[in-house]
Amino acid sequence: MLHEIPVDRYGAVGRRMAGAVEACVHCGFCLAACPTYRVLGEEMDSPRGRIFLMKEVLEGHLQPQEAAPFVDRCLGCFGCVTACPSGVAYGELLTPYREYASAKVRRPWPDRLLRWLAMETLPHPARLRAALGLARLVRPAAPYLPARLRAMVSLVPDRLSRPRRPASTVAAAGARRARVAVLVGCVQRVLHPEIHEATVRVLARNGVEVVVPDQQGCCGALALHVGEGVRARRLARRNLLAFPEDVDAVITDAAGCGSAMKEYGLLFSGQPEEEQARKLAARVQDVSEFLNGLGIETPPPLPAPTRAVYQDACHLLHAQGVRDAPRRLLGAVGNLEVVEPAEAELCCGSAGTYSLEHPDVAAELGRRKVRGLLDTDPDVVVTGNVGCMVQIRAHLRAAGRPVPVLHTVQVLDLAYRGQGLPRLA
Amino acid sequence: MDRARVLQGLRTLYPESRILTRPAELAAYESDALTAFRARPLAVVLPETREEVVATVRWCHRHGIPFVARGSGTSLSGGSLPVPEGIVIALNRLNRILRLDPEERIAVVEPGVVNLDVSRAAAPFGLYYAPDPSSQPVCTIGGNVAFNSGGAHCLKYGMTSNHVLALEVVLADGEVVRFGGESLEGVGPDLVGLFVGSEGLFGIALEVTLRLVPKPEAYRTVLAAYRSLEAAGDAVAQVVASGLLPGAVEIMDRLSIEAAEAAVHAGYPEDAAALLIVELEGEEPEVEAELAELLEVVRASGAYEVRLARDEADRQRIWKGRKGAFSAVGRLSPDYLVQDGVVPRTQLGTALAEIERLSRRYGLRVANVFHAGDGNLHPLILYDGRQPGQLQRAEELAGEILRLCIRLGGSITGEHGVGMEKRQYLAEMFSEPDLEVMRRLRRAMDPGEIANRGKMFPVPQKLEAAAAS
Amino acid sequence: MRTDAVLKPSDVDSLREAVRQQPRVWPKGAGTKTALGPPEGAVVVEVSQLRGVLDYDPAEFTFTALAGTPVRDVEQLLARHGQYLPFDPPLSAAGATLGGTLASGLSGPGRYRYGGVRDFVLGVRFVDGQGELVRAGGKVVKNAAGFDLAKLMTGSLGRLGVLVEVSFKVFPAPRACASLRVDRADFEAAWGLLRALYTSSFDLEAVDLVPPGTVWVRVAGRPESLSTRLQRLRAFLQGGEVVEDDSRIWEEVREFRWVPSGWTLVKVPVTPRRVLDLERELVPTASLRRYSVGGNVAWVAWSEEPAALSGLLARLGLRALRVLGPPGPPFLGRADSDGFSSRVKQALDPAGRFGPYP
Repeated sequence: MLHEIPVDRYGAVGRRMAGAVEACVHCGFCLAACPTYRVLGEEMDSPRGRIFLMKEVLEGHLQPQEAAPFVDRCLGCFGCVTACPSGVAYGELLTPYREYASAKVRRPWPDRLLRWLAMETLPHPARLRAALGLARLVRPAAPYLPARLRAMVSLVPDRLSRPRRPASTVAAAGARRARVAVLVGCVQRVLHPEIHEATVRVLARNGVEVVVPDQQGCCGALALHVGEGVRARRLARRNLLAFPEDVDAVITDAAGCGSAMKEYGLLFSGQPEEEQARKLAARVQDVSEFLNGLGIETPPPLPAPTRAVYQDACHLLHAQGVRDAPRRLLGAVGNLEVVEPAEAELCCGSAGTYSLEHPDVAAELGRRKVRGLLDTDPDVVVTGNVGCMVQIRAHLRAAGRPVPVLHTVQVLDLAYRGQGLPRLA
Repeated sequence: MDRARVLQGLRTLYPESRILTRPAELAAYESDALTAFRARPLAVVLPETREEVVATVRWCHRHGIPFVARGSGTSLSGGSLPVPEGIVIALNRLNRILRLDPEERIAVVEPGVVNLDVSRAAAPFGLYYAPDPSSQPVCTIGGNVAFNSGGAHCLKYGMTSNHVLALEVVLADGEVVRFGGESLEGVGPDLVGLFVGSEGLFGIALEVTLRLVPKPEAYRTVLAAYRSLEAAGDAVAQVVASGLLPGAVEIMDRLSIEAAEAAVHAGYPEDAAALLIVELEGEEPEVEAELAELLEVVRASGAYEVRLARDEADRQRIWKGRKGAFSAVGRLSPDYLVQDGVVPRTQLGTALAEIERLSRRYGLRVANVFHAGDGNLHPLILYDGRQPGQLQRAEELAGEILRLCIRLGGSITGEHGVGMEKRQYLAEMFSEPDLEVMRRLRRAMDPGEIANRGKMFPVPQKLEAAAAS
Repeated sequence: MRTDAVLKPSDVDSLREAVRQQPRVWPKGAGTKTALGPPEGAVVVEVSQLRGVLDYDPAEFTFTALAGTPVRDVEQLLARHGQYLPFDPPLSAAGATLGGTLASGLSGPGRYRYGGVRDFVLGVRFVDGQGELVRAGGKVVKNAAGFDLAKLMTGSLGRLGVLVEVSFKVFPAPRACASLRVDRADFEAAWGLLRALYTSSFDLEAVDLVPPGTVWVRVAGRPESLSTRLQRLRAFLQGGEVVEDDSRIWEEVREFRWVPSGWTLVKVPVTPRRVLDLERELVPTASLRRYSVGGNVAWVAWSEEPAALSGLLARLGLRALRVLGPPGPPFLGRADSDGFSSRVKQALDPAGRFGPYP
């Protein structure tokens, strides 16, 4: 698409943003892949519409404030990237644009407060745990809360385990085939520390030595997705230092974190750390991607026939292009039937802090997603991202069929340990 | 009527949330898939019921406000370009399949239903909706009806027009009419045939009754690679002459193969100057017998590599590459113009050679990807709008290609419609009395010319010049 | 004005002149659709002198001919090149013209597979109500330029314009054909077969149901696969007698030779499901029926006054066209008037030269 973006005005990312606009031919093939367009049916809430609006802002023809509601409503699921025949690198436009616009857009104070709260708690395990404890106390009052707070509270899990993290080094079982570092991030450590533990066990079982760097922290994904570039870089810088170079891969088991770390190069574009960031980004792999590439020991079959519906996490499927790897891994488990839901490529509505900021759209997507999943009559739902797990679990509960939701590595881990998958009582 | 009064009037018909008036909202509706044209409407309304559409049209008629009906905005001829002094009626929320009757093989749908969703709904019954424009995952039935959309599989079973049985329409002056029926046959003049392809100039389809067809038992999809585009063109003539009646016969040239391969990794033969895709469909024993003959014909036509789709997934990949080819060309060039000319099938070779010559003369690359079996060419003229004069040169080249099609006895559009883009060329294809009858028909439906104003009919040169300045 | 006046223009200009001169005119081809007569007070303009194929390149699979050209001549020409008009234009042996076939909107049993006359017409030239020669559509198989007046002329009965020239697409003729005759004990059982075939994935040329209980199915394609296909079809239908040399059988159908002389024949568009309702109403009457195109057309031969048939059809909400028999108003059954067709009439024939649209 023709544009008049003054590229140089936007620094190192100007060229990349303009490149994405140029590649777009406005054909509209992305509309069907866009969750917000599917829900709202409005052009400005479609990828094509948003690209057009961002172009208009960057050209100086539209106020950032005008475009903000629509760009904000983008889940960043990258479903459009998978659907796009023209190869538009939507992320290379959206992420820097959000950072550029965030300084220019005046948001009402409740929005700012909510975002500030999210940013100040989610990436910090201790604060998050305290907040969740508080939220559980208010849960009985949920029906009387404003929509967004209600949405927040509805996502709070029933049980909270003590935040744990795996040991700093875990030796490979048998001959060492590889050495990796694992990101244990923030939210997942509080909500589901058992996923990290499963990841480490499954890796070790397959001859991988695992290090869990002590100094690491939140990957910055949540801040990155809402355009808080400064905050995201502050968090990411810590990881640039924390992760060693002498590993074969940096493993993430949360799709959102993996996709953010793979974007570190873009995040530090034009900054002194760019080269270092690029190197780290190049080593990042999702745990399923890594295990599939390595080749795994076939686990013993499950004790009972089980039907799992696999739900693609957008940040795995669309942002990282990882589709086959988790399916192949699950396919290696005997007695496990893996089925595909309708609208598999559509976001569940979690998308980082999205479900907190846009509860209506997020809830509609969550309901739709769960309908598709339950139509397959599954024993368990399997996915590769903690955010999706929280959202899907909440909507399964609301639908009255709280089928267990597991991470891909948890399925492998249970299979290796000769245990069955949890089932709905 | 000034903008404020228009908005005031619309507020009597719609809640605030379904009238779009903010600059960002309107900007998003400025273009369809032809971005060379842009126009910002006064407002966009989002009706949710047919009654709202009718009320809107009546209101527009009463106040002389032009309206443009819009589906997914995938028109390649600027068919859903807004009118600056008018409103856009976005029909995306009228997207219900009202009735699916597998035994009678019909689907009754609202205009905002997406083409592919009809086939998805019919699939459990072994049926599908045959017309398959490349944009079928997004384009709407309302748009397909307005522009008589085609697709890769028109050769055997025709275009949209051959698959619409009945219509309920609100004419531009607000009268609601129904015509056609649920039978494949009718009596009296073919009014459905007239309405389909009328480019939104008569009014808005509110309800469309579609014919569904049983899914073929078997497909055989053959890919053949050629060293030259002419050789592939000649192969088409040989396939057609052999007496085979394939479901689809498509050609892609080197540029479009390169682009499509980058987009979907369809596994097209590398280094081919042209690729021929022929798909047979029908009963298993018949298709198997036809395949033997097809392979013989294709091999004898000078293909240096012939490949058969291994399975359904492979077939889908082949088609995904073909159907994404237009957009994929966006990878090769910042801008392009898509043309849609038709030539007699025996003139394909001549037309391609002439386009090649024109491309060299204008110094602009032209990618070719087209429905060869129908003689329906889609030259994509690559240009860079930032280079002064390039767009104008590209438009001139496009004009020459259209005139070439007319000269060879063909048409300026096979399936994209005239829209904004080709309206000046309609007068080169039809005489003044031909056009006058069409204008009379249009005025009979729309005396104020408020429905999709500015499309299809040539604008007098003086007005055109004034609009450009 | 004499109602029995007949003009026979020898070229397009004299045809235009005739239209301009006469307050009311009505075009006629070979007159094979005997029930379709001129509106009251109209001068008959015979287009039989406007005949001949203007353009036919076998490699192109299209042809253009003057409207008065007999379909039979064209079919013979096409057959020499292994091509055909798949919709079995009716009354071709009786001398029907291309223009008459298009204007009456009639297709035969072969319409089942690839569509009817409306689906094969590509372009037309006609003289409108003001005597202007108008062209629409084109000569190529795909064309979306301008309004599709060629389709509009299908079934227009000469009331919107006088056809002068028509362009059609054609298909390669199948190399082998055969039919299957299946008899069932009663109509309902045979009707069940018809409906099962309608949603099946068999590629069939024609599917007709003849009361009391016979289903005729025609299959065409390559000789080497034909017997396998017939076997599969027999398995699906649980029986059936194969008739190998079937061209005569279908010609009888196309020519309506089963209709007793002097009877009225009407075309009733219907849907497969509604065939049973219609048959139940018609069984007690003095009529012969043939349900064609998989149950999308009922051909009803009627021995008595058509008024009774019209009432019966109207009760069922059906509308019909008279084809054979004594002339009379063209439509029977449900009355139809919509704001769309009256506007079309107004635009093409503002002075009403071709008679009122019935």
